[in-house]
Amino acid sequence: MMSYSRKDLVESEATMNQMRNAIYHLERFIKNNNISEIKQRFQRMGQNIANTYIKYWKPIDKVDITNIKNVLATIYKYVLNSSVSIEINDYEKLISVKDNDCALCKYHFEDIHVAGCEIIAAMVAEFVLLINNQAEGEHSFSIHPIEIKKSRTFGNKSCIQLFKYTDGGK
Amino acid sequence: MGVVQWLLKKISKAFGRSTNSLFYTLLNREILKEINEITENEEDSLIILREIGKNAALESCERHSGIFKWMPGSPKKVLEYFELLWIVVFGKEIEEGGLNYEEIPKEGTKYNDYIVEIKNCPICASYGLDEKDTFNFQNLKNKETEGLACGLCGMLEGVANFILKIKKNDYRINIVEQNCKTKGGQCLQFICKIYDTTEWKEFTAIRIQDQLKSGVFFEEKMEEELIQDTKLDIIDKLQEALTLDKIEELLDEPLEGIKRKVAEIIEDKLNMEPEHFFDYFKNYEDDMIRIIGFLTIHVFNEYGGLVEKILANETFAKVAGYLFKQLRDFALLFIPIDVINDYHHLLITFLDGLAPVEMVENVKKFSGKDDITFLFEGAQLALENLGINFSELKENVWEELRREKEDELIPSEQSMIEKSEEKFPKIIGIIQEILMLFNEILTLPIRVLVSESHYGLKTAINSVVSEEEGLFGTIKGRIDTIFDYIQEIRK
Repeated sequence: MMSYSRKDLVESEATMNQMRNAIYHLERFIKNNNISEIKQRFQRMGQNIANTYIKYWKPIDKVDITNIKNVLATIYKYVLNSSVSIEINDYEKLISVKDNDCALCKYHFEDIHVAGCEIIAAMVAEFVLLINNQAEGEHSFSIHPIEIKKSRTFGNKSCIQLFKYTDGGK
Repeated sequence: MGVVQWLLKKISKAFGRSTNSLFYTLLNREILKEINEITENEEDSLIILREIGKNAALESCERHSGIFKWMPGSPKKVLEYFELLWIVVFGKEIEEGGLNYEEIPKEGTKYNDYIVEIKNCPICASYGLDEKDTFNFQNLKNKETEGLACGLCGMLEGVANFILKIKKNDYRINIVEQNCKTKGGQCLQFICKIYDTTEWKEFTAIRIQDQLKSGVFFEEKMEEELIQDTKLDIIDKLQEALTLDKIEELLDEPLEGIKRKVAEIIEDKLNMEPEHFFDYFKNYEDDMIRIIGFLTIHVFNEYGGLVEKILANETFAKVAGYLFKQLRDFALLFIPIDVINDYHHLLITFLDGLAPVEMVENVKKFSGKDDITFLFEGAQLALENLGINFSELKENVWEELRREKEDELIPSEQSMIEKSEEKFPKIIGIIQEILMLFNEILTLPIRVLVSESHYGLKTAINSVVSEEEGLFGTIKGRIDTIFDYIQEIRK
C-alpha cells in the first residue's frame, strides 16, 4: 500500500467541522498569552498554506484583471468547496468576495474578534501573487486583503472579504 | 462495514462542511507552527495541539449531541466503531485494509487495551519535503511525545469520551498517538486505554498547565461530572434501546439478534437462564406460544406505554378490539398455509438453542395454523390486560353499531330522517354481507400475492451471491449515487 502524498490529498476531501473550531481555540490560546497580532498570525498561516499548496495545484498560469473573477471563483471552489460571488469596483480598485458558507466561519462567538476568514483571504491573495511570480514575463497584478467586512463569526449572515488590487500592467 | 455504519458515514460526509484534504492538513500544520511560535518548545506545542483538538471535537459534539446518542455506549464497542469515529472527525474514508485493530490483554481489568493502526496517514503525507514544514520533530527530547496527528488524536478521544459521557457510561478512553510516520514510524498507530471513573480522575488529575515547561498559559476545559438528568422523550428511550451496534446485529443476523435480545430480557428481567426459563413450559408449549403473543403486545407497550394510553379511551379500545378480531379471523383466510408453515419453522429455529431439546420436539408437532391461533390467544390476553374488554364486544363491528341504534326508543311519529335511521342497521347488514363476499372472492388473489412476495423475498434473499451483487448491493449503489448528488447540490 503506497503512502499518501500531498498530490493525492489534492484529489480528496476532508470534513472541516472540528478543524474550524480548532482555529478559534487557537485564537483564544494566543489571546490568553497576551499576544495581540492575531490577524497577522492568521494571515501568515494563509500565506504559508498557499506557498505549499501551489506546488501541487495551480488554477492558471497568469492572473490579471480580465480573469481575476474566474481565478478567485476557482480557488474558492477547488480548495475550500465554496461557491462565492465576486464584485469588482474598478474605480476604487476593490474586489469583494461574498461567501455564504465559509469553510472557517460558521458560528457567532462573542469573545472572538479576528475571523477565520483572515486565513482564507491571505491564502487567496498569496495564490495570486505566487502564480504571477511564476508566470513568464512580468506581471504586476496582485491583490491584497484589506478587510474582513463581514463574517459569520461576528454574527453576520455571510462572510465578505475585501481585497485591493494593483494592476501595473506588463 | 455494516449497513448502518455505512449509512451514517454517508450522512456525515454529505452534511459535514468539507474542503480539500490538502488544505485541511496544511491548516493542521500551520496551527501547530503558530502554537510553537508561542511556546518555543516542541513538546509543549504537541500537548497544546492535542488539547485544542479535543476541545474542538467536544464543541462540535455538544452542538450535535443527538447523533451521538445512537452510538454504542460501551468503550469496547466505541473502539470497534473506530472507522466511523475517524470519518466523523476527519471526514476521510480509510481505504480497504487500511485499518488494523489489535486487542492487548490486560489482567485484572474489565477492558483490555487496544492498538489501532492506520497504514496510510493523510496528516503526515509528504511532511518535511516543503520549506514551510518548519516544525522540527528532531527537536523533541522526549521520544514518548505524540506526533503530527496529535490534534486528530485529541479529536478522536474527545468524540469517544463524549459518546461514553452521553450514554452515562462510567468508563473513559485515552487515545494516544504511539507511532507517527513523520517521527519515523511505519504507520500511524494509536494506543487506546480504558479507565474506570476513579482511574480516569487520577489519570486526568495532572493538569495540562502543569505538564507545560515553556511557561505559556493554557486554559483547560474541565470535564463536567455528569449530564443533568432531563426528562427522556420517546426518541431518547428508543436510542437507549436501539444503538448502532444493536441495529447492525439485527440487520446482519435478524434471528440471532432477536434471540440474543430475548435471552437478555429473560436474564435481565427474570434473572434466569433462557433454557431454565423455557423449561417451565415443557409440555405446555401451546401456553408458551400464547405467551409469545402476550409478550409481543407488552413489548410494543414497553416504550412510553403507548398501547395502554390508547386503550384507556373506551371508544379506541372498542375499535382496536374489533380490528384485532378482524385480523385474527382473516389471518388464516389470507395467508397461505405454506407461508404459515415457513413461519412455524422459523419459530422452531428461534427456539433451537434457547429452549430445551424436548420442548423444541414438542413444538415441531404443532402445525403453523396452531401457532397462529395460540399467538392470537396470547395477544388477546395482553390486550385485555391493557384495556380491551373482549367479552363486551359483539361478533363484529356492524352489530355494535346496530346495537346502539336498537337501544334507542322508537318515536311514535317518525320523520323521514327517523325512518332512514330505522333502516340504518339493515343497510349496515347489506354492506357487511357485500364486504364479506368481496373478502371471500379476494382471498385467492391475496393469497397469491402473499405467496408471491413471500417466495419472491425468499428467492431474492437466497439468491444473493455477495453483498455487492445482490439486491442489497444495488440499493447501496443507488443510495451512494443519491448521496453523491446531495454532495454535488451542496457544492
